[in-house]
Amino acid sequence: MKLSKNFTSPLAANNPVIVQILGICSALAVTVKLEPALVMGLSVMFVTAFSNLLMSLLRNGLPSRIRIIVQLVVIATLVIVVDQFLRAYMYDVSKQLSVYVGLIITNCIVMGRVEAFALGNKPWDSFVDGLANGLGYAFILVLVAFFRELFGSGELFGFDVLARFGYVNNSLMLFPPMALIIIGCIIWVHRSINKDLQEK
Amino acid sequence: MAINKNSNLYIIIYTIVMVVVVGAVLAILATSLKDKQDANVLNEQKVSIMKAFGEADASFDEVVTMGRLTGGEFVAVDTADAADVQAIFDLLGNRKALAEAEDALPIFMLDKDGVTKYVLPIVGKGLWGDIWGYVALQQSADNVVITGIVMDHAGETPGLGAEIATEAIQQKFEGKALYNADGEFAVRMQKGGAQNEHQVDAITGGTKTSDGVNAMLQTSIGKYESFLRATEGAAAADADVCDCGECEAEAIVEPVNVEEE
Repeated sequence: MKLSKNFTSPLAANNPVIVQILGICSALAVTVKLEPALVMGLSVMFVTAFSNLLMSLLRNGLPSRIRIIVQLVVIATLVIVVDQFLRAYMYDVSKQLSVYVGLIITNCIVMGRVEAFALGNKPWDSFVDGLANGLGYAFILVLVAFFRELFGSGELFGFDVLARFGYVNNSLMLFPPMALIIIGCIIWVHRSINKDLQEK
Repeated sequence: MAINKNSNLYIIIYTIVMVVVVGAVLAILATSLKDKQDANVLNEQKVSIMKAFGEADASFDEVVTMGRLTGGEFVAVDTADAADVQAIFDLLGNRKALAEAEDALPIFMLDKDGVTKYVLPIVGKGLWGDIWGYVALQQSADNVVITGIVMDHAGETPGLGAEIATEAIQQKFEGKALYNADGEFAVRMQKGGAQNEHQVDAITGGTKTSDGVNAMLQTSIGKYESFLRATEGAAAADADVCDCGECEAEAIVEPVNVEEE
């Protein structure tokens, strides 16, 4: 029961992007097209899941004075692993993501989950929590990228969708502010459904 | 036996072990993936060059002659000499060195159906960072004509300057003759729309990037000018050499939305 709640809560009710408003800057940068957004989402899922798992395994022997440093080393290592694999096997996407893969290190979701969850929970629970938070992030990214690519380029995953109906691309959608506005709209819809999230 | 986890000794040992483990893991990973990553970079350069030639389906290794322009002479690179071949691609990958190179300039030649085309690397600065690419040139009776261009950028604005990496913009350069009647370098992206047959519409909202492209074309191609012009006319014997007027007619592309600035 607890495990499934750990898994579902970050997807909607406690989504890291639209409820905790974390990881926004990468959400603005890599959501012009679906493919890089998806790869970015998967990369963050990998990093959150395994940083949670590793930190949870290390938590009992961890000197609390250098806890943050150890977290950073673990997270940075995982990010480099992702970056190196992308460069080797998904070169085109890694070029599009450019520095944003490296910047996963600074994504508040990753360290936030390690601090808030992994250091006080068992490895398997922590792994699931990390995976779910990464998935919650990836879901929002893909959702934003869906609208931006569809209306900005008239395409989905690079395939013509709207262009064949005579749609004229709206290049405003390609600019970062539109990502912010779309995220704002998602938050609006989300809060009007989940009334308990609305501030009084 | 309780260990004091906050003692200095424990922390120092903990840190040393952590760094050694992490360092070893990353070193093994980087070494084992390096070949694959280098192959990706090399492949991208070759694909870009073939795109500039307009022969995207052909294999670089089979049809292209690599060379250097040394003292105004084309000196072919021996493809059997792997180190020398690699040296050319290393230079292409090092944009700073490429921009500063004055001699032994890399150049690629492709002979097809009696027509010789050359591809030159181009490097410059856009608004936010480096821009680079490859331009394919062909000598006509009294000029040098662009037959293809491939451009890429490090961080131009999406939808504006970044458009230089799109085919719609790149196709506009096809068939443009480099030099005007006075022998001056005349190809440029012109703000407000092309004024003559040498010019190409600039990108609306991407004026700084367009300026960067102009500077890039002028300086990068300028280094090869003596070679290109010395042998110009040699290729003119080929009757089917594309005259720039005709080419332009073929290469008309739908105008990209030019909205008010």
